[in-house]
Amino acid sequence: MRRKIAYPLATLGMVAASTVAVASPALAHGYVSSPPSRQALCAAGTVSDCGAIQFEPQSVEAPKGSSQCNGGNANFSVLNDESRNWPATSVGSSVTFNWVLTARHRTATWVYSIDGTEVATFNDNNAIPNATVSHKVDLSGFSGKKTVLAVWNIGDTAAAFYSCVDLNIGGGGSSTTPTTSPTKAPTTAPTTAPTKAPTTAPTTAPTKAPTTAPGTTAPTSTAPTSTAPTKAPTGSEWAPGVSYKVGDVVTYQGVSYKTRQAHTSIRSWEPSIFTLALWLPL
Amino acid sequence: MKRRFVALALTAPFLLGACGTDASSSAPASVSGKTAQAAAETQNVNSVAEITAGSTFNDTDVMFLQMLVDNQEQGLEMVGVASERAQRQEILDFAKAVELTQSDELTMMKNWLKEWDKPAELDERESLHADHGGLPVTTEKEIEGLQKIKKADFETAFLNLFLGHQQTAVEFAALELDKGANEQARALAERVKQSRADQIQQMLKLLNG
Repeated sequence: MRRKIAYPLATLGMVAASTVAVASPALAHGYVSSPPSRQALCAAGTVSDCGAIQFEPQSVEAPKGSSQCNGGNANFSVLNDESRNWPATSVGSSVTFNWVLTARHRTATWVYSIDGTEVATFNDNNAIPNATVSHKVDLSGFSGKKTVLAVWNIGDTAAAFYSCVDLNIGGGGSSTTPTTSPTKAPTTAPTTAPTKAPTTAPTTAPTKAPTTAPGTTAPTSTAPTSTAPTKAPTGSEWAPGVSYKVGDVVTYQGVSYKTRQAHTSIRSWEPSIFTLALWLPL
Repeated sequence: MKRRFVALALTAPFLLGACGTDASSSAPASVSGKTAQAAAETQNVNSVAEITAGSTFNDTDVMFLQMLVDNQEQGLEMVGVASERAQRQEILDFAKAVELTQSDELTMMKNWLKEWDKPAELDERESLHADHGGLPVTTEKEIEGLQKIKKADFETAFLNLFLGHQQTAVEFAALELDKGANEQARALAERVKQSRADQIQQMLKLLNG
């Protein structure tokens, strides 16, 4: 029952054109995710103010042969900046490097080096890699803080992808890094609720007929009629980066919601019509 | 503060037209969510299934939805496996929350394609992606691989696979924001761009935590 979709050539041409014109991570490819590379630390928010690389850790593409963390790609010079005090992951003498790939190019080699010395090379003989790639590398000849340059040399283009991974070798067997754990949701002890919902409608609210059905998340000034609790529990204002448990109550745009599915909040998962699976309007 | 966001939400449809894809994630956190919500509210609906897309759309809108439908159907398979095989509670919760939110997105996208009388299924995934410079990240083989991999290795494998998978959704969204015409599809793209970028942040922390 699958139908064949033939896109007009013009459409595909447009796609190609847009990938060039737009400063967005189109045709992006891959990076070392763990132990975290510098771009992974930026993307995770562990290291801040990294610039564009935060949103496209897979885009450190440059001609083959560079020994720099950014591969010589001027867009990502922050990756070469040693003054950023990149956190080093404590590892034992054997380390498994994991790559995230967003496009799977034919691959010549994967090369790992420290201080300009090649430590390990994996030759793929121009094959297409798996969707995820891992390499176990013996670092027993090294100790202390070292920066591993991991390079993915593409087989059918002149390009390579660069990742620098800061390690503290011999600093421990497990590859744990300090991470900022999500802040805990404040425990919301229901206080005495306001007997009335806020009466002032947002002045700039869209003019439209008020909806009455439960489930709507419109910023109306009245609670849904059918379920309107006279004592709505008041929670704290919804915020991203908070770990919410089932039953936690938040307020958002003057409406209270109860958590239906435990999650750590992110942008666009705020209570809305698009997230009724996560939030029950009260 | 709140009032300012509301005002932004109303003007955002126009702003989006002007600023293209470079808005990146530096925009105030809740603007785009409200943009989409404002767009939905004008329809007076009670669930995403009732949101209609409207008759203004172009080839990019159609392609964006078709590619994202395909991406999300695979994504749902992956988080489904994770809900069964992951061990850490944070990963189980993450997978479940993604499953729930993306199921609703999928319903909405399929409805819009139907509304436009366009098929929801791609069978040229490989060649289409090849035109984008590489093979698709995820194939059935990888998803099956998640079922078979040793439990001890599962979380690392899942997170690395899903990191790449969600990043491609960000790329589709960037394309839509650049060239798409439909207001609902563009609002969805903005939400996809934000939510996936933040999911990537969470997954990298889970991977290295």
